[in-house]
Amino acid sequence: MSFPDPIAVFRTEAAELLEQIEAGLLDLNVNLGDKDQVDAVFRGLHTLKGSGAMFGFDALAAFTHHCETAFDRVRKGEVPATQELVTAVLEAKDHMRALVDTPNGDHEATGEALLANLRAAVDGANSPGAGSPAKAAPGQNHFKIRFSLPQNAMANGTNPLPLLDELRELGECTIVADRSAIPSLDLLAPTDLYISWEVELLTTQPRSAIDDVFIFVMDEMQLDVVTVDVPVAAAKTPARTEAPAAAPQPAQPVAVAPVAAPQAAAPAPIAPAPVEAKQNKASENVRVPAEKLDELMDRVGELVIAQSRLSQLAGGSGDLQLRAVSEDVERLSGELRDTMMILRMVPVAHLFSRFRRLVHDLSHETGKTIELVTEGETTEVDKSVIERLADPLVHLVRNSCDHGLETPEERLAAGKSEAGHILLSARQQGGEVIITIKDDGRGINKERVRAKAESSGLIAPNANLTDQELYQLIFQPGFSTAQTVTNLSGRGVGMDVVKRTIDALRGTINVASHPGKGSEISLAIPLTLAIIDGLLVRVGAGRYVIPLSAVEECLELSIEEDMRSRGRSFISLRDSLVPFLRLRDLFRTGTKPDPFQKVVVISTGSERVGLVVDQIIGDHQTVIKGMSKLHHDVATFSGATILGDGDVALILDVGHLVAEGQQQEAHLRAAG
Amino acid sequence: MPASDVKGDYLRLPQNLTVRAITIVQQEMLQFLDKTASATIELDDDCQVDISFIQLMEAARIYAGSAGKHIALARPASGPTLDVLKRSGFLEGMSAEDLKFWLHQGGIQ
Repeated sequence: MSFPDPIAVFRTEAAELLEQIEAGLLDLNVNLGDKDQVDAVFRGLHTLKGSGAMFGFDALAAFTHHCETAFDRVRKGEVPATQELVTAVLEAKDHMRALVDTPNGDHEATGEALLANLRAAVDGANSPGAGSPAKAAPGQNHFKIRFSLPQNAMANGTNPLPLLDELRELGECTIVADRSAIPSLDLLAPTDLYISWEVELLTTQPRSAIDDVFIFVMDEMQLDVVTVDVPVAAAKTPARTEAPAAAPQPAQPVAVAPVAAPQAAAPAPIAPAPVEAKQNKASENVRVPAEKLDELMDRVGELVIAQSRLSQLAGGSGDLQLRAVSEDVERLSGELRDTMMILRMVPVAHLFSRFRRLVHDLSHETGKTIELVTEGETTEVDKSVIERLADPLVHLVRNSCDHGLETPEERLAAGKSEAGHILLSARQQGGEVIITIKDDGRGINKERVRAKAESSGLIAPNANLTDQELYQLIFQPGFSTAQTVTNLSGRGVGMDVVKRTIDALRGTINVASHPGKGSEISLAIPLTLAIIDGLLVRVGAGRYVIPLSAVEECLELSIEEDMRSRGRSFISLRDSLVPFLRLRDLFRTGTKPDPFQKVVVISTGSERVGLVVDQIIGDHQTVIKGMSKLHHDVATFSGATILGDGDVALILDVGHLVAEGQQQEAHLRAAG
Repeated sequence: MPASDVKGDYLRLPQNLTVRAITIVQQEMLQFLDKTASATIELDDDCQVDISFIQLMEAARIYAGSAGKHIALARPASGPTLDVLKRSGFLEGMSAEDLKFWLHQGGIQ
């Protein structure tokens, strides 16, 4: 059995912490008075610093310390949170990521510059009248404190010693370690913490100062604070709650009472149910490296292929027992496949969260006020799809911010609100996820797109194109109608990459735009790239797979109908004409058609096309294998699969075939 | 490769006695205690120590006690070890036996 590399585990956890810090900063930016967010950011920075130091990321720990200090001052009310401070820490956060990824890199100069920014932001925020230092309460308080940190605190980078030091800084303090829970050496998990502490504290600080010491571990620790001169039963509080608000603060210093003075104040076992429940819940989750999931997926794929072979053999043998076993294996492998798919699904929230930061930065860069709204974050997509969608979405959101949305002045002049809006949404539709980027900007200038396409020879002058065809031109390599090239976009590089990536994902792009009202780009992406349900068909001597999610219905095409439709290639389907493609002709099989050909009607959204095949063999669990480099440019196929008998079947690219059918329809209509 | 150095009944512990290295120290100490009836532990003056080490030594004392063995420090705790003992509240309320083990009955004046 192999154990995970602790450095790799730290990197993963640091990445999550940095995401939390970023989310907290962005929320704080919206509401600068949100104390919970200040605390959350402080906790994140503190934990990152501690863990970093523990795992030998000294540069990270040292750098993060400065940001933590800045937020500590905000937390204590010494400095107000400002947008400048948030921006400075956001930039610093990026640097922290670099320090996590390449701890030995040359980061010093960048770090110094960022810290100078941070100091300027703190100094600016701390101008006279900007904030007021926290004031100590008059008189002294006498607290008895008992606390134990989470058992995995040390392993997670929390060092108890600084916490104890902080308690000492609050006033006159007696700290006693309780060692009673330490087991024998052979039973000890050495990175676990078995020690708890009893503390007596005489301080002028209020109870909240004690909570502040433990703020970053408060959720998981056990903390019992008793104010000595109030009834103990009323004073006992679980972690995360305040001491009795009415606890009178003694006017005179109170002498330190003996540890055992009030019986009920003696350390009591603290086991708040919510904490226990939370710990139990945490232990139900297992962190698994993504590559292990990929490996498992490959194994499931191989199993599906083997099962397919078994089904074929069993079907041809006539052995009823073999058939029964084969059916069981088929059912089980199908269930295993479905479970595997669920394991690989992650919510698009992971993807969307990064755009808050992007839009925040773009808003600064462009001087535009931009509000990002996200919807459907719980929609789940295969993790490999999510990973590959990130870059295209960055391009599209950048384009919306830079070209789509107008400047505040232009918007006000056009009678719009000063702030531009971008909606990023996701929803599931059949076997696809639809991701939409919508803005309320100026819309795509059709005339300019046409002029640019004509001047660069992409289309003939005055070519008759639908709006959709015209909009699709923006995805051509080097195509940009931007009059100025900015840092963000306008170089014509990017949209073609978007198209290529979406094509590679077997997805489609739909563009809608209304002058003065905005644009909407929808990406329709398959939920998974690994295994699909397919319809196995025969065309000539070859077998092909049509993704079942695209299949609407199957019809029979008699020889008479086939003859009648020659030359026009349309079938009448419930009062509407549907174009069809003869795959035998398209693939140039050179074989005679079967007497009773079939039409498989496939669709992408509202567009349909029929595919004429010789035989429908049946449904087929299709493990998708990529095409070789030699066949990379063959547009009609999106991949290949291995059949039960070892033969290879090509998987049809539905989007491409539908587009071809629609083109054929357009030509026929044009020809009258 | 062992991090500690064994010479007869002496076990010289490595410099890093923090949570980062404590698992190895535990294994080596267990092996050492299993082989000897009277163990003496030697610490570097400038070793790196955190509370995981103090906890480990306390666990080792329990282990040795239950196995009828003797364990002691070669020298009274000083430097970083003493600092951690102080900061972590171990020196408060030490029993005579604790004082003997950690400070060779010296105590903190």
